[in-house]
Amino acid sequence: MATQHSRAAARFMIAPSVVLLLAWMLIPLGMTLYFSFLRYNLLMPGNNPFVGFENYAYFVTDPAFQAAIVNTLLLVGGILLITVVGGIALAVLLDQPMWGTGIVRIMVISPFFVMPTVSALVWKNMFMNPVNGLFAYIAEVLGMQPFDFLTQAPLASIIGIVSWQWLPFATLILLTAMQSLDSEQLEASEMDGASAWSRFYYIKLPHLARAITVVVLIQTIFLLSIFAEILVTTNGGPGTASTNLTYLVYAESLLRFDVGTGSAGGVIAIILANIVAIFLMRMIGKNLDA
Amino acid sequence: MGRITLDKVRKAFGDTEVIPPLDLTIEDGEFVVFVGPSGCGKSTLLRLIAGLEDVSGGEIRIDGKPATDLPPAKRGLAMVFQSYALYPHMTVRKNITFPLKMAGMSEEEKKRRVDHAAEVLNLTDYLDRRPGQLSGGQRQRVAIGRAIVREPAAFLFDEPLSNLDAALRVGMRLEISELHERLKTTMVYVTHDQVEAMTMADKIVVLRAGNIEQVGSPLDLYRTPRNLFVAGFIGSPTMNLIDGAEAAKHDARTIGIRPEHIDVVGDGPWQGKVGVSEHLGSDTFFHVHETGLADIITVRAPGEVNHRAGDTIRLSPQMDKLHRFGQDGLRIA
Amino acid sequence: MARAVTTKTKAINTAIAWTIAILIFFPILWTVLTSFKSEGTAIADPPVFLFFDWTLENYATVQERSSYFRHFMNSVVISVGSTIIGLAIGIPAAWAMAFVPGKQTKNVLMWMLSTKMLPPVGVLVPLYLIFRDWGLLDTRIGLIIVLTLINLPIIVWMLYTYFREIPNDILEAARMDGATLRSEVIYVLLPMAVPGIASTLLLNIILAWNEAFWTLNLTAANAAPLTAFIASYSSPEGLFYAKLSAASTMAIAPILIMGWFSQKQLVRGLTFGAVK
Repeated sequence: MATQHSRAAARFMIAPSVVLLLAWMLIPLGMTLYFSFLRYNLLMPGNNPFVGFENYAYFVTDPAFQAAIVNTLLLVGGILLITVVGGIALAVLLDQPMWGTGIVRIMVISPFFVMPTVSALVWKNMFMNPVNGLFAYIAEVLGMQPFDFLTQAPLASIIGIVSWQWLPFATLILLTAMQSLDSEQLEASEMDGASAWSRFYYIKLPHLARAITVVVLIQTIFLLSIFAEILVTTNGGPGTASTNLTYLVYAESLLRFDVGTGSAGGVIAIILANIVAIFLMRMIGKNLDA
Repeated sequence: MGRITLDKVRKAFGDTEVIPPLDLTIEDGEFVVFVGPSGCGKSTLLRLIAGLEDVSGGEIRIDGKPATDLPPAKRGLAMVFQSYALYPHMTVRKNITFPLKMAGMSEEEKKRRVDHAAEVLNLTDYLDRRPGQLSGGQRQRVAIGRAIVREPAAFLFDEPLSNLDAALRVGMRLEISELHERLKTTMVYVTHDQVEAMTMADKIVVLRAGNIEQVGSPLDLYRTPRNLFVAGFIGSPTMNLIDGAEAAKHDARTIGIRPEHIDVVGDGPWQGKVGVSEHLGSDTFFHVHETGLADIITVRAPGEVNHRAGDTIRLSPQMDKLHRFGQDGLRIA
Repeated sequence: MARAVTTKTKAINTAIAWTIAILIFFPILWTVLTSFKSEGTAIADPPVFLFFDWTLENYATVQERSSYFRHFMNSVVISVGSTIIGLAIGIPAAWAMAFVPGKQTKNVLMWMLSTKMLPPVGVLVPLYLIFRDWGLLDTRIGLIIVLTLINLPIIVWMLYTYFREIPNDILEAARMDGATLRSEVIYVLLPMAVPGIASTLLLNIILAWNEAFWTLNLTAANAAPLTAFIASYSSPEGLFYAKLSAASTMAIAPILIMGWFSQKQLVRGLTFGAVK
């Protein structure tokens, strides 16, 4: 019963959330936009003159920017590929009858709950360290030279670490979606003579399509902002070999104290994230009507 | 007491008028059934009476007192929902007690009423269970129990049997009728099933697109449907409706004859080929084709009658049971 | 499918699944095991797996030599605090949107979601400056504010999807039964909403506990939660595997256990109800 009275009460109840989020969104965003047009360095006090698009020009022409864009794309793309393919495989596997499903599930999901700094540190020291790491030991046993992962292949190493953290997420969501598949559909296809592979390809995979899209979009949003793993393992290096856009903006703003350039980088990051966000929002919005 | 009067009640959602102004009186102690195809506004009408929807115009009176602006709880009505709407986190006892608790009743009065209701509805053994542990029929009874304990002026039922399987439905139908016999409280019952309407009602209200098509006792509606819609809606199998030359012979646009009012006789005026036969044991339904009257004429013959598909049979309508309808679809007296 | 699966198939599935699961879980297992070793055993060549002298000494050292407990408390205060405040703001909003939906409800929800899509780095600079000027840098309250705001959309969304599943019929039944708005809320809505609120609480604590952008950038020694404290081990002098493992184990254990319990709700919360 939506009467006038309850409508007013509803607005009153929603107001705090809306006002807070509006402030959270508009004030810092407006400031970022404003700063991005100023020459503003915390190390150089004085007036901060308006410089138009100079910061953007500086940021975009910086060789580190191109490296960061490429690295960001490689990071996001690589992790998505590993987690989605691995997630589908794991979801199919965990959907099979077996003993100890509960424990297997718990083990597979666990990495997602490990805080990024811990997982970065554990991988960096206990596994990837070229002297004392487990991987070095395995290489030694196999008669190979230990490989210094974070120096020789920093980006790939980070992709590995972050994939480990996000694989459970993809698995869990795809498994949930898989289990919502009507078993009669599978039985019908079995009656129609479909093999196990055909059932996967023609029934299960299309059923998962929606969940896969959701996984891709949500992970992309988070993966564009990978930070702690880079900070802990490589500090973006060597050179800019593992610097992504988020880390570059951080370095500009809080390491070089160049507020203007950092802000310009922030605006670019927002634009990139928004491109993904639009697709994600459409998906979720459609679901809201259903 | 439970006399409900609707005076020019109308309901519109935005620009769409779902119920045009409508008058209706439900007498105290009556079992009234609102029946009609889905989307005819019968549930909306019930919810207007309950107070779960605001009326867009007109007035509702309960026992002569204006109730239009009263909140649902103050109208003294109890409702049984299609989904039963039991509180899943409460035991059966707590579910049934809830309205009494809201009314601030004393502990012993609550206990007395709940125990009585449980006994009437055969729920005594289930009082400590939760709704999730009950079968559909038992949930239904809990929902009714929750309504009974309030001793309301009238009960409102919103398609209460539609979630039950066929056998249970017949049983519950009987139980609700018996309940009405015993309590003699006004009941307003919404259904899309004309069999439920015919078997339970004192008075049937046939609705279409928010309009009342006819109000009357089940047999009134069966014998003298006011128009083609009611004629086609009430009765199972449905009435045969015949247009054209045959109707013109009777000075009508359309004539109607119920399947049970057609006899299979050697010298009947109509003839056709037997199609599908449905043998119910007590009756046999024939679908007769190629009569030149309508696509199919349904005939109901008592007992076990055998005609093979493809046989030609002759039919004779009982002339005194013929219904005549004019150009406007209304009954011609 | 109600058919007997051959024991052989099941055995093969089990073997493959367990192997993969153990591989995935291994880094956590290894960390936990290492935390019970002495520093020497921790870097032994060849590595020892189970047969070593188990010791609790690393846990004791981490407690004594560092301010571990303070950082642990920071984590607790910040994650629980931001969650409670978020719920206090979010419950009424989700409630109103689920039960009194208006024409704008969908738009408001989508817009809230869009704030979550904002990359944190886009507002790093102004937030850092605001925090510096207002004396919020390296304070618990500052982090509570930020984490409340970044997780508020998830809270509202998750609650909204739960509230929307409460059938309207039941609320109407309560109204017919004479419940006032207050008793409707207390006796009917709240008990039915408790599971949803609980899962929202749990997921949000997990997210806040593991948040590692703002906690790293806005704190130093004082208010640093475990995320930032652990990061300090990345400097070379922190290269003591056993102690690192002990600190890590303590940092992830509580959340790991909470996570195991909330894995089902997690899906809904993290996909904004798009996958259930």
